[in-house]
Amino acid sequence: MKEIMALTKLFINESWGFSKFLYNRTNNKKAFYKQLVPMIIVPIALIPAFFMYVSFYIALYAGLRMINQTSVFLSVGYILTIALIIIFGIMYILSEFYFSKNIEELIPLPILSRNIIISKFLSILVSEYVFTALIFVPALIIYGVGEGMGFVYACLSILMFLTVPVLPLALLTALIMLIMQSASIKGRQDMLRIIFAFLGIALIMSVQVWFGNHMGNANNVDFQNLMNNLLKNNESLLNTIGYFVPTSLLLAWTLNKITLMSLAWAASSVAINIIAFALMVLVGKRFYIKSIVRGKIIKKGKRLSQIETQKALGKKSHGVMAIFSMDLRLLLRTPIYFFNNVSVVIIVPACLLISLSFIKLTPEDFNSIRNFYTEMPILVNFILIAFFIFFGATTATTATTFSREGKASWLTRMIPISSKDQIIGRTSVAVIIESLGIVFTLIGVSFYIPLTLLSLVLTVILGILGSLPILLFGLFMDMNHPLLDWDNPQKAVKNNMNVVTTLFVGMAYIGLLLAVSGLLGYFINPWLGYGLFSVISGIMTVVFYKIIDKRLAVKLLNFE
Amino acid sequence: MLKLEQVSKTYGNKSEKAVDNISFQVYPGEIFGFVGPNGAGKTTTIKMIVSLLAPNSGKIIINGIDNQKNILEAKKQFSYVPDNPELFEKIKGIEYLKFMADVYEVPVAERQQLIEKYLAVFEIKEAVNDPIGSYSHGMKQKLALVGALIHDPQLFVLDEPMVGLDPKASFELKKIMREHCDRGRSVFFSTHVLDVAEKICDRIAIIKKGKIIEVGTMAEIREKAGSQESLENIFLELTE
Ligand SMILES: Nc1ncnc2c1ncn2[C@@H]1O[C@H](COP(=O)(O)OP(=O)(O)O)[C@@H](O)[C@H]1O
Ligand SMILES: [Mg+2]
Repeated sequence: MKEIMALTKLFINESWGFSKFLYNRTNNKKAFYKQLVPMIIVPIALIPAFFMYVSFYIALYAGLRMINQTSVFLSVGYILTIALIIIFGIMYILSEFYFSKNIEELIPLPILSRNIIISKFLSILVSEYVFTALIFVPALIIYGVGEGMGFVYACLSILMFLTVPVLPLALLTALIMLIMQSASIKGRQDMLRIIFAFLGIALIMSVQVWFGNHMGNANNVDFQNLMNNLLKNNESLLNTIGYFVPTSLLLAWTLNKITLMSLAWAASSVAINIIAFALMVLVGKRFYIKSIVRGKIIKKGKRLSQIETQKALGKKSHGVMAIFSMDLRLLLRTPIYFFNNVSVVIIVPACLLISLSFIKLTPEDFNSIRNFYTEMPILVNFILIAFFIFFGATTATTATTFSREGKASWLTRMIPISSKDQIIGRTSVAVIIESLGIVFTLIGVSFYIPLTLLSLVLTVILGILGSLPILLFGLFMDMNHPLLDWDNPQKAVKNNMNVVTTLFVGMAYIGLLLAVSGLLGYFINPWLGYGLFSVISGIMTVVFYKIIDKRLAVKLLNFE
Repeated sequence: MLKLEQVSKTYGNKSEKAVDNISFQVYPGEIFGFVGPNGAGKTTTIKMIVSLLAPNSGKIIINGIDNQKNILEAKKQFSYVPDNPELFEKIKGIEYLKFMADVYEVPVAERQQLIEKYLAVFEIKEAVNDPIGSYSHGMKQKLALVGALIHDPQLFVLDEPMVGLDPKASFELKKIMREHCDRGRSVFFSTHVLDVAEKICDRIAIIKKGKIIEVGTMAEIREKAGSQESLENIFLELTE
């Protein structure tokens, strides 16, 4: 037990960087404040979003109350929580169990492998509790207050809160361990990791879409009947949900009405969680340690003949190209980076297309969409532009460009590459990724709206131009606060405040700019709107470029 | 070739200086050894020379160029191999070398010839198409050495170069260092392996707790110590 506690503390400390933080407090005040400020600002910035989230729950509860269906309220919250835990959990589990290097140091030590597994799991669980507290506890409180629940409800809901993340995380961990085991045999771990993560997400998405569609159809087919049913029978919707996520029933039975049976259901819920946990430990002991001990297999390239070597070296590239191709290779070849920085531009258009394909549009619907476009092309254009810029901001490619290099960043800092080449090379990578998203989106949109050439040209050019200030702002942030001291690439992007800051500032800025130029274009003259948008974007781009160009060389001197 | 003038560096707001007001010069055509115990400030000094760290005060002139005033030009004068070369794991050896050749603008014919030569010398030809992540520590170091040698720098800066290398490679490296200096260029390297310093350096500086305590040829330092002792003993006495 003591060992588990100690290990868990170690892992948590490692993934959150507490030691470094405390060290900086006494030894490096500047670095300390650099860490502290975002720790205060980011939560504050998130308050409005949290407030909206809670209001959504209150509205949902009020709505359900009106149709006398409050019994599904907790189930909805539960399913949402579980879905989010699974989506984010995949990367946390992969990174804690498979990308973190500490395991190689721990295995030779006389520590029970079971304890390592449990501790790693607990360290993830702790973060998930923080997460669950934010997203699930509001639902518990709203329901409790709304239904006028008492002390027993409070106790039981604390118990349920503690069990909620365990089951999905445990099962997910076991599943990942099994897949990683079979993946490593083939010796192409990295690629499989990406595919696996994608499949996981795709699965969840399709279940949700299917689920939504299923419910939606029922609505269409016999809305009246369903409504009647709902009003008469308080349990039918609950059972429908329970059919998809069976454990949601346990939760509902425990907390919806406090009876003596609640205790029994709570106990069985705890039991199921313990079983899942034990299963995970068992799978881990059987497969996880083994796949680590076997060693990481890196696929080797084929031997190069002299002629091939000469050929590989036979072209001289410009400094911009050198930086660009190095940055792009790192991005595409590191699974975590690929997942975090690139996958958005594939997943979002794909999901959009899939969900749209479930909505059956009649020819009249198509016509009205087209008419809307021909009557008000400026609105459609600006929506597309906003969408393209969204890719630029969310991929956070520039906001992590130095951070991603980590301890190897000495190389790109030591070489004689001008700031100009650095900026253009690194920003180009982001633009390429963004362009990928633009192409996918345009393909998707063309199914519904036949865009004119003018629209295509305008949206692509303004979309990229408009994202440049955000991309450069990301670069500016990463230049000022690079996160280099990591042993696990997950940290370079996930623990990186630059990503959050860039996203928030970028979205606020672009929202404002789009609103102003959209209104101007709509009410006065479209070209005035496009013009204003271009001019402001152009100016901001030049300003940021100049600032970075001036400071970069000196900043690179002070990275550590 | 390399001139440090009253250079100091403190990390964060620690009380003691990692490097404390040091000055010395490396002349063209010489191998200069930077000797000192662990934690003396060798790596810190080297990082300031190669523009990875800004000094708090003082000046560093490389081949006549101030490395704080004209950073880009100064960077073109040297190449550097760190003590523990962390390289991009996902990049292949050959891609790394091409990157270095591009960055230092080495003409195609020259890069082909030099890379071929040094890959053979350090015996890592076979691995050059593998991702660097599959390299051993020594192989990474060898790759970094090849990458540093392809642009034939005026000043060659190495941090603890002999530590991870096998005997053959470290023999070859010493030979390369000597040839480099014979062409009027300079080598600056740090070491705590005194044997090496004693055998191959034209001059050395001894650093202790961030301060330079001796600079000169072996003979000069011996003379000061007033004995025929090996550097080892002098070193132990000086750094006591
Ligand atoms: N990044 C750092 N942060 C704080 N102190 C450091 C850092 N790097 C080195 N030091 C301190 O500076 C001193 C000199 O270290 P270093 O130059 O690495 O020595 P050497 O290379 O001679 O062994 C040591 O006391 C060390 O603890
Ligand atoms: Mg050192």
